[in-house]
Amino acid sequence: MSRTHQIDPILLSVYARAFKSITNEMSISLQKTTRSPILCEAKDFVTGLYDRHGNMLEQTENLPILSFSLAPVCKYIIDYFGEEIYEGDVIFHNDVFSMGNQNNDVAVYRPIFFEGKLVAWSACKGHQADIGGAVPGGYNPNATEVWQEALRIPPVKVYERGKLRKDVWDLIFANIRFDIVQDDMKAEIGSCIVGERRFLKLLEKYGLDSFEKHKEALFVSTQKMMEAEIAQIPNGEYSGSSTIYFDGRNHGKEYKVCVSIKVEDRKITFDYEGTDAQSNGFVNGTYSSSASAAILTFLQMINPDIPHNQGMINPIEVKIPKGTILNAAYPAATTYGNHLCPANADAITRALAQAIPERVTAGWNHLLCSLTTANDPRHGEKYVDICFMGLKGGSGAMRGVDGYDHIGMIDASGGLLDQDYEMFEQQTPHILRKHEYWCDSAGAGKWRGGLGVQTEFEIGSDQTQLVIFGDGDVEPAFGLHGGESGSLNSIELTFPDGKKRTPLSLDLLTDVPRGTIYFQEAGGGGGFGPPWERDPYKVANEVRNEVISSEEALKTYLVVLKDDGSLNELETSRLRETQIRSNC
Amino acid sequence: MKYRIGIDVGGTFTDFLLTTVERGGFAPKIFKVLSTPKDPSQALIGGLNEMATSLSLSLREFAASVETIVHGTTVTTNAVLTHRGAKTALLTTRGVRDALEMRRGIREEQYNNRYQNVEPLVPRHLRIPISGRMNYRGDVIEELSESDVQEAVTLLKRERVEAVAICFMNSFANPSHEKRASEIVMEHLPEVYLSPSYELIPSIRFYDRLSSTVLNGYVGPKLNSYLTQLERSLKEIGFCGVLRIMQSNGGVMSIETARQKPALTLLSGPAAGPGAGLRYVQVHGKESCMTVDMGGTSFDAALIQEGVPAVVTDGEINRHRIALPMLDIVTIGAGGGSIGWLDEGGLLQMGPQSAGADPGPVCYGKGGVEPTCTDANLVLGYLSAEYFAGGQMRLDYEAAHRAIEERVAKPLKLSVEEAAFGMYQVVSYNMAQGVREVSIKRGIDPREFPMVVAGGAGPLHACQICQELEIPTFVVPRESSIFCAAGMLMSDLHHDFVSSFVSRLDQMNWKELSATIKQLIRRGDQLLDEDGIDSSERSYSVKFDCRYVKQFHEVSFEVDPKWIEQSHIQAVASLFHWEHEKLYGYRLADDAPIELINIRCRSLGRTKKPHFVEEERSSDHFSSILKGERLAYLPEERRMRYISLFDGDRARHGFSFEGPALIEQKNTTLFLSSNFSATCDRYGSFVVYRKGSDKNLNLDFKERWL
Repeated sequence: MSRTHQIDPILLSVYARAFKSITNEMSISLQKTTRSPILCEAKDFVTGLYDRHGNMLEQTENLPILSFSLAPVCKYIIDYFGEEIYEGDVIFHNDVFSMGNQNNDVAVYRPIFFEGKLVAWSACKGHQADIGGAVPGGYNPNATEVWQEALRIPPVKVYERGKLRKDVWDLIFANIRFDIVQDDMKAEIGSCIVGERRFLKLLEKYGLDSFEKHKEALFVSTQKMMEAEIAQIPNGEYSGSSTIYFDGRNHGKEYKVCVSIKVEDRKITFDYEGTDAQSNGFVNGTYSSSASAAILTFLQMINPDIPHNQGMINPIEVKIPKGTILNAAYPAATTYGNHLCPANADAITRALAQAIPERVTAGWNHLLCSLTTANDPRHGEKYVDICFMGLKGGSGAMRGVDGYDHIGMIDASGGLLDQDYEMFEQQTPHILRKHEYWCDSAGAGKWRGGLGVQTEFEIGSDQTQLVIFGDGDVEPAFGLHGGESGSLNSIELTFPDGKKRTPLSLDLLTDVPRGTIYFQEAGGGGGFGPPWERDPYKVANEVRNEVISSEEALKTYLVVLKDDGSLNELETSRLRETQIRSNC
Repeated sequence: MKYRIGIDVGGTFTDFLLTTVERGGFAPKIFKVLSTPKDPSQALIGGLNEMATSLSLSLREFAASVETIVHGTTVTTNAVLTHRGAKTALLTTRGVRDALEMRRGIREEQYNNRYQNVEPLVPRHLRIPISGRMNYRGDVIEELSESDVQEAVTLLKRERVEAVAICFMNSFANPSHEKRASEIVMEHLPEVYLSPSYELIPSIRFYDRLSSTVLNGYVGPKLNSYLTQLERSLKEIGFCGVLRIMQSNGGVMSIETARQKPALTLLSGPAAGPGAGLRYVQVHGKESCMTVDMGGTSFDAALIQEGVPAVVTDGEINRHRIALPMLDIVTIGAGGGSIGWLDEGGLLQMGPQSAGADPGPVCYGKGGVEPTCTDANLVLGYLSAEYFAGGQMRLDYEAAHRAIEERVAKPLKLSVEEAAFGMYQVVSYNMAQGVREVSIKRGIDPREFPMVVAGGAGPLHACQICQELEIPTFVVPRESSIFCAAGMLMSDLHHDFVSSFVSRLDQMNWKELSATIKQLIRRGDQLLDEDGIDSSERSYSVKFDCRYVKQFHEVSFEVDPKWIEQSHIQAVASLFHWEHEKLYGYRLADDAPIELINIRCRSLGRTKKPHFVEEERSSDHFSSILKGERLAYLPEERRMRYISLFDGDRARHGFSFEGPALIEQKNTTLFLSSNFSATCDRYGSFVVYRKGSDKNLNLDFKERWL
């Protein structure tokens, strides 16, 4: 079967599918074996395969913001160890100053050897429940430098030639609070081994020579696809900007994100010149998290079926000046960096809206999030809960398509799941009172934004501690081409004595009493096109379904309803015509 | 003579298998008639008519002597896939009425901003909030608002809904609010189809229970009216035997159970396949196998280990969660009608789009222009233009050749044969991926199992799938073209019950646990009584869903009911540790706390199985059925050449064939490539071996019957 001189187009498809199925299998293995809910429920991890030079062969990107630094770090590791990479090695890495994206996102790399030669790498990276530093879980608003946030792990071998380096292992885990992190790192190693086994089966079958040739051909084929996508964008330079409203230390302080996107035939460059300088807190991006944000946003504007390998990445360049809030200089604190993705995405969207208006979405809802801990009075044990269901607002609309309701932030793009309500009441002492679409939260438009949600639960523990972080509470998701903006995020507590409090982002609340009502609104996405162009029958139906109020229908959509709720066609078209005439 | 009949109503054909009850009757007979989608019972009666004719009986005489009909239906499946179920309303706890539509906030295609949410089966204005609340262990913290329910009833009347689903928070722990609400609805709207969650699936996980309950209501009226029509039609022709319905879990059930729990039929169509596959290897002493079934548009794969088809409780239909036990069948879009196309990067792809039956493949000459898998098989010589479907349909070779040339061969700079072979290989590879899904993806080596191959097109691709996955043996049953209809006659009665019982093992109230299990078994017995199953033909099994405390995924494993009587915590715990290690590669320390989440009970009633006639070894030589030679493409040699063509319908026990060869039957063709050889077994099935690979893998059937 081995034809060494030419590319077999069929075998090429076989390889592409095999790489995908290997990374999927690695992903399933990791999800089923981990214990931290951030990994096994929210799937905050990525798995991938890389060639011997560190070029991406394929990835399974459950949380895309983690994804696009695995390959650069693989290249860094290859340089770092040089000749000293052996069969049976396992290498850990999280260091943001050697291209890691977030301290808590700890990667495992496994070199794959075939007939004594290094031929490829399997790798995965997951958000670990703790990584040392000053506070559990890593989110330390008071941090000003990396050592206050985390244990730095530059490339380090925890296994060499198949043998555990117990001293190194113990050194790492002596600096991490929770035991489950050890188990979850073992699960990451297991996932890499699953990938290695499958990959070797493939080589045994087709041979190294065939793999090398077809891999190159796959990169070329994918790069052609990517270039064809870029070629559809008119050449030119497009600028956009957005604002970060919060740096964790000074409420009211603002930072500008500026991007200039240059499209030259088959190449696209994202240049962040002009972006504001880094903050003195932990609200700072790393190059890797910011570049991943740029790539994942762009990927949503093109053919979603392009294989994810080096060929896809080659035509994209991301330049971020060092010392800016998107690429903070050593030794800055950066844990919040992944959450700058929404602002970054907004700037990119505004820029490309000029070039490819039919492919961009209006603004997405940003993340505002809470983490609750206390002792559960039902059995006296500690619980920790991130209110995933409450934080997910709507996505932006685009030409021809309404936004997606309750999808959550753009860096997960619908990959992050709500807790099941009954499991929530088993695992926390709270009682869920409400989790429903939020009427009138969507940015109005010919195509409306995705709906946000309202969440309300009664806190069932004493001396409860809450950490609030995120934004979207100052500027709503923006509309495009006459579409309106979505609604704002907010969190409000009503204490048993009736007093209310609206905590600000990065507030740490302690001693919250049992019986307090927690209420959160996650805003809707931005609309696209003038609302009075929206199909009035659709609006009437949405009024009937109580996701748009009749007042909003009249005021914003210029839709008049009869007493029975059905559309008053005559009055509606009259009202809409008046609007159009006054616009002319 | 008494008869038993398996009937599988598919999209294109309705398949029948006719068997005799008594030993020594005739060999099972295959019938196929065109389906009548508007009223499926027409085709069904038509098929019965053909059978009567073939037995020289009047329809009435024949119908009167039919003891059992087992029926698989796609009525509910299609209602969901085409969004044509009943107008359904939902009564649910105030504050969470959108859970159904939110689907936990997932968007399956993360990079596709044009990908939209699936339309909910109940629109928001018919999802009606009801006050009243249970806490996590079923204590009432707010009384049910009966006036809310009354108001809802008024709305339901005005809206003329046909079905009402009821699902309240934590009803798995205390169903009293759901029961009361059901009573009120029944009282005022006796004609609507009512689906309360506590009756269907009283287990924890709100969204799973909610979605299943709504699906049940949504398909209920359709299935009920279909069953009524079917019963009437059968009665009119004089049938007075037992009618049973295939359910998604691979068992059969009575009409009455199907009426109450129509959601159990959502996978009724393919669910008989795994059980059937098992029977074809059991006659060779094997208890495990994989089954694959390739039809016109889809390819179903399943794995059966230790005599038991795998069951999942987290399935989906059209992106709606269905948490009822269903056989773990992977369906992918690969079939005879799969269309070949080139993507933007120039890679050859097959499907998932299918030309279906209309227009169908180019070679059908019904207006299809896009080359399909069937077209490739024709160009490669695997199918005959003259003998397709036993010669009932002539295929247009030239048109198929032209379509492949223009759309695949030229752009890829390949010859037409190479291009057709490429299409053939990509489809085979896609099918191999389906087999991987049920085996390798779960850490199971497919080489350890024989594969049972079914469907009209399956035996053409089986050698390539086995080559790809290094599977040493496969079986092509004589009934492969009507595989599921055959399987229906081999299925037992299954009644599955689940009950949530959340407790740590070390804090377990064993008495209460035991009482709960006994109650589930009693409910099973009631149904088996109704089914008329003798107590000697009954058995029960109990499974626990357990996990380490604070884990999120449970491991399901069977426990010995004696352990519960004896409060034998060690036995349960050590079995859990062992299962966990086997599945996920590690276990925690012996004293790590474990919690039980759900109890699952299955009551099984054994049915009479069809009697397959064993054939004596023939003294004839295989060459007696040689029909001639045909030009066909050989994968191993990568070229076309003449190979032997046999008349498979005349194959006798003991005939052996060396690849390359084509064994042509009326409804299917087996393509043996050079690396394979085949033997006809005593039931007329072909057992195929990959040359030189059978010895070391302990899969040798031969000693059993040669």
